[in-house]
Amino acid sequence: MTNLIDGSTALAWFTAFNERFASTQAYLTELDRLAGDGDFGVNIASALERTQARLPPATEATCTTVFEAASRGFMATGGTSGPLFGMWFRDIAKGTKNDAAAVTDIAQGIAAGLSTIQKLGGARVGDNTMIDALEPASVALTAGAERGSTLGNALLEAALAARAGAESTADLVAARGRATYVGELARGVLDPGAVTIALFFEAGADTVGADTVGAGRA
Amino acid sequence: MPTAVRRHIINNPHRVIDEALDGFALTHPELVTFNNEHNLISRKTLTPGKAGLVSGGGSGHEPLHAGFVGSGMLDVAVCGAVFASPTADQVHAGTKLANTGAGVVQIVKNYTGDVLNFQIAASLADDDGVPVEQVLVDDDLASDNGNDGPGRRGTAAVVTVEKVCGALAERGAGVSTIATRGRDVVARSRSLAIALDAGAHPGESAAAFELEPHEVEYGVGIHGERGTGRIAFAPADDLVEQLVTPLVSSLQVKRGQSVIAIVNGLGGAYPLELSIAARNVHNLLNGRGISIARSLVGTYVSSLNMHGLSVTLTVADDELISLWDDAVRTPALTW
Repeated sequence: MTNLIDGSTALAWFTAFNERFASTQAYLTELDRLAGDGDFGVNIASALERTQARLPPATEATCTTVFEAASRGFMATGGTSGPLFGMWFRDIAKGTKNDAAAVTDIAQGIAAGLSTIQKLGGARVGDNTMIDALEPASVALTAGAERGSTLGNALLEAALAARAGAESTADLVAARGRATYVGELARGVLDPGAVTIALFFEAGADTVGADTVGAGRA
Repeated sequence: MPTAVRRHIINNPHRVIDEALDGFALTHPELVTFNNEHNLISRKTLTPGKAGLVSGGGSGHEPLHAGFVGSGMLDVAVCGAVFASPTADQVHAGTKLANTGAGVVQIVKNYTGDVLNFQIAASLADDDGVPVEQVLVDDDLASDNGNDGPGRRGTAAVVTVEKVCGALAERGAGVSTIATRGRDVVARSRSLAIALDAGAHPGESAAAFELEPHEVEYGVGIHGERGTGRIAFAPADDLVEQLVTPLVSSLQVKRGQSVIAIVNGLGGAYPLELSIAARNVHNLLNGRGISIARSLVGTYVSSLNMHGLSVTLTVADDELISLWDDAVRTPALTW
């Protein structure tokens, strides 16, 4: 049973994130067109492309190098969401001291990245941004780690919390970020950044969960 | 009268910045070098041990910022796409390049994307062991909404800030002294602008907005966006008075004080128009007992080919004027 994210698990996590994002991109672009300027989907897709080009080969990958590659890929992207994701991935990479990360390392890195994003963007829960999904996910992951949950269970709880947080943005009027400019018009529209955070945690929960099942079968 | 279709002398809308920067560097080989991986224009020769000065932002504001790279002003300009912030990665590369051992001062115009990407770049540079100070430029009076929202935009006062900070760096000042003086220049500066016609993005056939012949857009920024309102078209002296009067009252400039003034074209105003505007800036200020200690009249911070102008006033003192007078040698400013 996998209780560590090593290089190949981290690579699989990003592959799964890529696939989920690709199948949702048109919908996310539409959300951004309704509440922002419509460039969210293209920006994140190009960040994922840059990440792909920077990822280390499977034989050399560690959890740290995979998240570092993602950080550089997102940091070289225009707009505001790309660089914020880039800073988040960077803190996750920093949190993994060894080649593979345990649930506590990931939880700490994700919490550190959350606070970095909040420092840079100034958003809080309820402002209709990516924070609405990220903060509950981070809290759930940290709680799971403290309870001694398995990595798979902790990521699943984080994914559920992120999805619930993303769904909650439908009822919010933006106080930060691009959707501020349209005010009430954005009511009823999910924040695409928050949905993308949910996709990321769902990809992680799936990857680690599948890995566990796979190991059991073998 | 048919609406004029805007045309541009370009090859490919996606290659505008790369090709323009390449041409710019070929034009000034004795002053600057072009790094085309990160779209950086840097001094031909950096001075070891001098505090580095970096600015940048979206393109479309030429000659800002690349035109102010050279001795006495910037070390590196980081060039984004038209009206879009450079990425954190680009700014990080520019900041590292500008550091020759004494750290770096970043001069940032106040826009959400620029602020975010420069902040990220500053914290990445900090991890590399490069001390970074920032000066946030927010001089545009029209976008002053109290404390709510993103705050005043950064416009033509950035030229004054770059000149003064550049002179201090050349005199051997450290990053924190330079940044403190830069922030002081911002606090003493305000700008206001009008436009008769919006600019059009390279490759786009329509202008960002259309005005009737009797209308003037008042309180425009430098991104082709609408202003805060419309005023009636009138002779230059009337229009200029509607810029100067609010600036003087906002800065509370008193009789006997002096200012540094920039009468700045937004890309489509021609030199005769700017000189006529400058004439009335002088007359209005002299009439209030305020002297113009130094001034610039020309196109320094443009908004593509917008037909309009801005006036920037900076309340001066002896030290500021002395720093302004220090030698400068850049593609767009030399004395």
